[in-house]
Amino acid sequence: MKPAFSIVFFTVSSGAGLGLLALLALADLFAPDALADRVVWRAALLGLLLVAAGLASSVLHLANPRNAWRAFARFRSSWLSREAVFAAALFPIAAIYAALAAGAAGGVWRDFFALATCLVAWAVLFSTSMIYASLKPIRQWRTTWTPLNYLLLGHWSGVLLLAAMAAAYAGSAPFFLLGALLGLVALGVKLAYWYSIGERGAGAKRAPTLERAIGVDAGVHGPGTMTAARARLLDVGHSHGTFLTDEFGFVLARRHAKVLRGAAIVLGFLLPLAWLLAGAAHWQLGVAAACCGIMGLLAERWLFFAEARHTVRLYHGDPRT
Amino acid sequence: MKLGLVIDLDTCVGCHACATACKEWNASSKVSNALSDYQPFGAEPSGVWFNRVRHYEVGEYPLSKTINFPMSCLHCEDADCVSVCPTGASYKREDGIVLVDQDKCMGCNLCAWACPYGARELDEATGTMKKCTLCVDRIYDTMLAPEDRQPACVLVCPTHARLFGDLDDPASEVSRVSEERGGFGLLAELGYRPVNRYLPPRQPKTVLSDDDARALLDRGLASLASPLIRR
Repeated sequence: MKPAFSIVFFTVSSGAGLGLLALLALADLFAPDALADRVVWRAALLGLLLVAAGLASSVLHLANPRNAWRAFARFRSSWLSREAVFAAALFPIAAIYAALAAGAAGGVWRDFFALATCLVAWAVLFSTSMIYASLKPIRQWRTTWTPLNYLLLGHWSGVLLLAAMAAAYAGSAPFFLLGALLGLVALGVKLAYWYSIGERGAGAKRAPTLERAIGVDAGVHGPGTMTAARARLLDVGHSHGTFLTDEFGFVLARRHAKVLRGAAIVLGFLLPLAWLLAGAAHWQLGVAAACCGIMGLLAERWLFFAEARHTVRLYHGDPRT
Repeated sequence: MKLGLVIDLDTCVGCHACATACKEWNASSKVSNALSDYQPFGAEPSGVWFNRVRHYEVGEYPLSKTINFPMSCLHCEDADCVSVCPTGASYKREDGIVLVDQDKCMGCNLCAWACPYGARELDEATGTMKKCTLCVDRIYDTMLAPEDRQPACVLVCPTHARLFGDLDDPASEVSRVSEERGGFGLLAELGYRPVNRYLPPRQPKTVLSDDDARALLDRGLASLASPLIRR
């Protein structure tokens, strides 16, 4: 799949913002004294800004953005529509929550809006991940690892931002060990995802072949069967690229994949983990760790697209997906 | 009703007339709203097509066969391109035809991602998704003679490798031919239940030259002997 930067940025930016909002609201609900109000409202604002930036970027991906408002129409069947509806609902809810925190309000209304912010943020994150996980023609996406991976990455980048903000505005970051644990789990799931889509993973055995795609996998029917049913593309029928080759024909060199996976692991996980495990001190280092983590996740999301191989590639001559 | 095509892979000669006739008819169609070309006379000509013909070789020479493979929308019964569409621009009609409402599409590409057959192409000029309409503006046109109320690709095919009809009706020509010849849907395991059927190519009667026969014999002997030699 072509890694369109608008979508890569959208998933990373929105993911971080949503993870930040969900974790912030959770911390505020279950440990009200851990985060000062000045941290809470600033973090909520940052979360909303990141989600807004992501959504703006996703609109750039549309070829006909004038009709973007119609995206709310198919809530009952389309994950993209659900994502749009939940994201639109998130803004007023999280904005009220941020305002309550800024006014140092307490009580049941603040709890209510904290809980609502958390639940709606989760709904948006899950809907985004299901857009990919529901696509049957892309076996690298159609796995339970896809939503799990994306939910964890959103929370991991969110916890980095939250810790950096707490260090900056309150002098210390609570729960930094819990944050590090979250990072380790997210890294583990990412590695499991890569294993599952790899040659030794379960998906590779079920990957459809070119022979299957054109219906000659069981030989050629008729009077007797053709025993050697290997097929290859002779001619693709077009002289230059098409929408299909642009969108689905992206090929990632194996050595580039290795370098990028390494960068995603080191920048996205190991360096920020080192800051958290070292005690999450010095807010300047925290900001650096959060930026570094987000850079790593940009590489991770880019790879998520670049490594996904759509079934239509079989018809363009790939022996298997 | 399940309107669709039956495509005979045995008789298709891969001339691309279906693709060209489709382009000709639909480029001025109100339903599909133009099929744009990019640099049609330039160095890198490209553009939107509803129908593309690809060519494959099956088997190994000399026991091989060339298969010409036209592909357009299969008008699936469980069309994911329709259910993933957030705007409601993609829809399936009562007669089975899957269409895109050009006034509602926002060009997000998600339906093209959801289609394993590559049936949908984004038109960069209009910013909307385009796909085969099964010539919905021909097949119901009472101004045309009854025999002309068929998709352009079917009418033009010089080898009659394409048939159009209702695959829901077991007595229709398309259903009977598909039944007789073992017509199949593409990638059934994905569960889209495509309506279009493909008739499999027949076993070719191989004509071997003396050199071919010799080469085949050598290859057969070599494959028998190699495990012994390796041991």
